[in-house]
Amino acid sequence: MSTGRVKTRVQKGEIIAYSESAVRNNAAIVKYCRTSMAALSGSTAGLLGLTGFYGFGFYVFSVLGLWVMLLMKAGTQWQKFFINRRSLLTHDFFGSLFTYVLFWTFLYGMVHVY
Amino acid sequence: MAELLLDPNIRCWVFLPIVVITFLVGIVRHYVSLLITTQKKAEITQIQDSQVMLRARALREHGKYLPKQSFLMRRHFFNNEETGYFKTQTRAAPAQNPMTDPSMLVDMLKGNVTNVLPMIIIGGWINWMFSGFVTTKVPFPLTLRFKPMLQRGVELVSLDAAWVSSASWYFLNVFGLRSIYALVLGENNAADQSKITQDQMSGAAMAMPLDPKAAFKAEWEALEICEHSWTLSNIEAELLESADFKFETAEEQNHM
Repeated sequence: MSTGRVKTRVQKGEIIAYSESAVRNNAAIVKYCRTSMAALSGSTAGLLGLTGFYGFGFYVFSVLGLWVMLLMKAGTQWQKFFINRRSLLTHDFFGSLFTYVLFWTFLYGMVHVY
Repeated sequence: MAELLLDPNIRCWVFLPIVVITFLVGIVRHYVSLLITTQKKAEITQIQDSQVMLRARALREHGKYLPKQSFLMRRHFFNNEETGYFKTQTRAAPAQNPMTDPSMLVDMLKGNVTNVLPMIIIGGWINWMFSGFVTTKVPFPLTLRFKPMLQRGVELVSLDAAWVSSASWYFLNVFGLRSIYALVLGENNAADQSKITQDQMSGAAMAMPLDPKAAFKAEWEALEICEHSWTLSNIEAELLESADFKFETAEEQNHM
């Protein structure tokens, strides 16, 4: 059903067509990466015993790190895979923040509270 | 702020079990709902109707690329007074009340069994078994507003807002493990209860099968007033012009 759908983007007066299902597949994979990144970095922050703003700063740092790594993986051809580079950074920022906070709290509690 | 000293037994027998129980209950709920849901079967007339609607819409939107006669032929197939598809096919109006449909009722019951029941039972059990513990502390300062949210079951005025009680820890897990379920079980899993409740809310509007008779009538009208203007009438001239242009530039380059 979705194979025939096409998403477009206008660049320098030209219309570039994207396959809808491929774009959605890429977005789903990026979302998996994001969840894993949030869980792992939350665990790291909890183990390190970061508190307060250091923890949130670590989250922002890890999101930026993931973004840079994704762009490095995509290389100079990133326009082939993603329509928008900035939404790759900001999409689902607060959703994975929740996962991050949960893992952070969990491991912080396990290691440092007791 | 005075530091509390918590018994390590609370970690082993309250804090960790709540996380494990919440996670495993989500997994079990996913598989149970896979087990008891029945695949909805579409009837052949419904599929036929939707395909016809798709074709009629495609004709309306992209008919300009067809020659006039082809367009008229296709429209004739749908709209002819005696033999047209939209005129001859009669569909009974669907039952208006979903409550009268027993299969729908069973579906709703199954949804409730897999969603609401575990929520009540496990939540109640956690509340009864693990109530009244201060389990952990969030590693960032919070304002007093968060106290009722994070310290359910432990009403102490002097306790800092960053401490989390066992019941609240359970709810934090229920909502926080959602994306982990997506990671473990795949995209459209049944463990995510908030999405399913949303589906149930909007389900009343969505599950109501739309009346094919009214849809046919609307499509018939739209086709009837659809005017055919062929966009490709000048296509030979345009093509030759562009080809000519390219040919000339190629020749110029050759000369240079």
